[in-house]
Amino acid sequence: MFIKVENLKKSYRTGDVKTDVLKGVKMSLGKGEIGVILGPSGSGKSTLLNIIGGIDRCDSGKVTVDDIEVTNLTDDQLTDYRRENIGFIFQFYNLIPNLTVGENIEVVSNISRSPLDTDEVLKAVGMLDKKYRFPRELSGGEQQRVSIARAVVKNPKLLLCDEPTGALDFSTSREILKLLQQINRDFGTTILMITHNTAISAMANRVYRMRSGEIVEEIINERIIHAERIEW
Amino acid sequence: MVINKKIKRTMMESKSQYLGSLMLIIISCLLYTMFNQLTTNMVNLTSSFEKNYVQEDASFIADKKLDNIEDLESRFNMIIEETRSIDYLVSEDKTLRIFSENTKVNIPAIIEGNKLIGSDILIDPAFAKANKLKIGDSINIYGKDLKIAGFMSLPNYIYPIKSESDILNDPNRFGIAVISKDDFNEINKGSSFYTLKFNGDKKDVDNRIAQFKDYLKSENIIILKWTNIDENPRVTYVTLKIDGINQISTYMPVFILLLTCILTGIVMWRMLKREFILIGTLYALGYKKREIVKHYLTYPLSIALAGGIIGTILGAFTLRPMLNFMVMYFNIPVDYVSFDLKYVVISLLLPIFFLGISGYFVVNRALKYSPVELMKGGKEKGKVSFIERKLKLDRLKFSTKFKVREQLRSIPRSVFLLLGVVFATMLLLLGFASKSSMDFLMKDAYEDTYKYQYQYIFNSLQHGAPSNGEVFSISPFTLKSDSKTGFYVYGISPNSKYILLKDKQGNWLSTDKVIITKPLADKLGVKPHDTIKVVNKLDSKEYSITVDYIAETYTGEYIYMPLVEFNDMLKYPSDSYIGLWSSDKLNISESSLLSITTIDDFKKALDSTMQPLKSSIGIMAFISFIIGLIVIYVVTSLIIEENRESISLLKILGYRRKEVYSLILNSSSFIVLIGYILGVPLLLVSLRAMFKSVTKSMNFAFPVTIEYGYVFIGFVVIYLTYELSKFLSRRKINRISMAEALKASRE
Ligand SMILES: Nc1ncnc2c1ncn2[C@@H]1O[C@H](COP(=O)(O)OP(=O)(O)O)[C@@H](O)[C@H]1O
Ligand SMILES: [Mg+2]
Repeated sequence: MFIKVENLKKSYRTGDVKTDVLKGVKMSLGKGEIGVILGPSGSGKSTLLNIIGGIDRCDSGKVTVDDIEVTNLTDDQLTDYRRENIGFIFQFYNLIPNLTVGENIEVVSNISRSPLDTDEVLKAVGMLDKKYRFPRELSGGEQQRVSIARAVVKNPKLLLCDEPTGALDFSTSREILKLLQQINRDFGTTILMITHNTAISAMANRVYRMRSGEIVEEIINERIIHAERIEW
Repeated sequence: MVINKKIKRTMMESKSQYLGSLMLIIISCLLYTMFNQLTTNMVNLTSSFEKNYVQEDASFIADKKLDNIEDLESRFNMIIEETRSIDYLVSEDKTLRIFSENTKVNIPAIIEGNKLIGSDILIDPAFAKANKLKIGDSINIYGKDLKIAGFMSLPNYIYPIKSESDILNDPNRFGIAVISKDDFNEINKGSSFYTLKFNGDKKDVDNRIAQFKDYLKSENIIILKWTNIDENPRVTYVTLKIDGINQISTYMPVFILLLTCILTGIVMWRMLKREFILIGTLYALGYKKREIVKHYLTYPLSIALAGGIIGTILGAFTLRPMLNFMVMYFNIPVDYVSFDLKYVVISLLLPIFFLGISGYFVVNRALKYSPVELMKGGKEKGKVSFIERKLKLDRLKFSTKFKVREQLRSIPRSVFLLLGVVFATMLLLLGFASKSSMDFLMKDAYEDTYKYQYQYIFNSLQHGAPSNGEVFSISPFTLKSDSKTGFYVYGISPNSKYILLKDKQGNWLSTDKVIITKPLADKLGVKPHDTIKVVNKLDSKEYSITVDYIAETYTGEYIYMPLVEFNDMLKYPSDSYIGLWSSDKLNISESSLLSITTIDDFKKALDSTMQPLKSSIGIMAFISFIIGLIVIYVVTSLIIEENRESISLLKILGYRRKEVYSLILNSSSFIVLIGYILGVPLLLVSLRAMFKSVTKSMNFAFPVTIEYGYVFIGFVVIYLTYELSKFLSRRKINRISMAEALKASRE
């Protein structure tokens, strides 16, 4: 298994109140697959994804990604782990506002060992003609395309997407999903995606249902459909 | 208003920026108060000293004794007193100039101790301190033990320099003293001069002086030396110094306040942008514009008020030590210290005024938006500036692009940084430039131009050929067209060994021609072969002098002409002279001498006076370091503030700690560099302008230069300041968590 999560626990303490956010999560995802995490907000999806991505830490349990035991890494090792393996896509794109589209891509290619060509990637997401624009001049969907380009330019092993279509309308969302599916097919990139839109699970190999810190159901989807045909 | 409760909290959130503004205001008010109160006190103290102790209008040396003083006094409506003086060599290189006690003009003011009662002596406090002499100690003068009765100041020796051409005083090697007339008679050595003060209206003093000179001439009395009080450097240096301080005291604090204005403007605009939604909501809730303006003006005004009060109080505390520092150089009695209320009020109001205006400007700009626009977070978001749009950075390295973009993001911030660094650089190099220029001046004068070791000036005209040394004469002149422009004309031997002059191209000028020094030529606007009409100050007659060459030197406003021509012009006997130059000590009876000057004296004096200059360089370097640190640190913290989400994102994307530091913290490097590079020539230009106005009445041009070594040291200091503030900012970057980018929800 490419991703393996075992008995993962995490709790937050605010004042005297302790909230268990993850209560022993167990899940796995194969290489080159697409996984979708579904669940109501506050159920711990982002926390799980962040721990897998190495930007948060757990209290106990074990996460391995491509044989790297993420839960054992030091802070500096985690930095390198993210740098070399992980591409992130966020709900609110998180582009650097005073850099152009092209420069936002370079933020990542600048520190990658063997990055793809910026223009190629921009072309692939259909944003080459906007290379010299600034994020604030783009629509939400366009910004998300740039953010995808930024994530894939280093050709990551794992693409983590936290509600990538959460702020977009239906047709734009479908374009983004198509793009992700295409990346998955063209580069064999493993994708783990959070959404609370059940319809999206139709394009996933595996679907995880979370509820208050636990994965209550893990479904293997045998009939994957093309993102083009997803409707909601 | 309820919302006012958040003021303190908001300020605490951006502590370093508000603290930076506060410190800049404190420094500004401190300097303003210190300098202005200092100069007012100096002016008051000197003028009351000059009045109460009857400062002379002029002093002169005559070749004969005046024995009808009472008659002269009533005839010219003045008081006149004979003063005797002698330079007593305490040791090889230590001179105590002893005067007989005056009772009518130039009365000694007792600073500490008692008046003279006989067989005792008054000395100046700086000399006493430098030589560890206390009241009650005895000094042996020509075999006579004199007890130090007290410390005193003389109104004609406020700046106690040995020779009038000296620039710096050195209490280690020169001091003044007063003994009673009786004791002086007992010693029975030295020469005498006369000091006079006119009664009544001062307006036509020049006229009355001319009349008096005419009278002396008619009595066949030759004036060997005449000095009006306004040409006496021992008095005028104080005025020059005060003028110099006055210039600094207006420009420096105002400039710092301007910096503060930009800074608070930036900080407030950032805060307002963050609070657009709140402001819009307040509007919608029915708050009036005036109330909102009032709320936001509380920020700059409270800082201005606090900074003004603290700075003014601190400045007041520095007054006494600064005065004490000044009286180490200027010997005046400090009877009382007063605070000029005018400057206290200005010091308190100035920051309020400056920050109030810039604050109002910024708040007003925000309130131009409609409530709806505000609630949407302002409409600026979509705009891309012209520069951002036009700038093509494709060929640059990514990190360079990132840094350039960062600076362009907020132009006011970059301007603030640039001005701050320029200012810190100028302040830092001010001391170094003064020292370099002084060194240059000294080298120009005492190594390249004046080659003699000893200069002897006699107290009467000499005749014939001397056994040793090279003869010269000297006489004071003024322009015919402007009696205020004075200078000296030297008569020197052709092919002088001791005065070496070059023209602009570096060719030696033979001294058998009439040569004018560059400072004087510049002042009079004279070119070679011009003829100037002049008036001799000793005989008040008119002469004309045709100049052959201009000598490229910085010291001395002189005209050199062959001695024969000089004597011929002034109708002196053709073999007469007044002084000797020599490279060795000459054996001349002290009673025939007016003064002995040695170049070594001067150099030694220079060395020891460089000591306080060094410490003031140190202090200025320290202030500039602090200002530089505040400016750079505040800008860095602004950059970090504005980039919180980007920094967080960079961390998520796998940037290592050092890479983040480098991208964010180094983004100001080239502004700092440009600021430094601009600061150097700007300093030289403004120093030149300043010295030009200050030295107008002095007899040298100040060649403002700075040695490359100092430019380098200055750069190292600024660079270290920059590195230090970067180092201090690292923690701020470390504290930004990756969660920050995740939480941020932007439209
Ligand atoms: N830094 C934090 N401190 C305290 N509680 C937190 C923190 N981050 C997340 N939580 C809590 O953990 C729970 C799960 O959050 P999250 O993983 O973001 O849920 P989801 O992404 O499924 O909406 C929520 O109840 C949230 O309030
Ligand atoms: Mg979430």
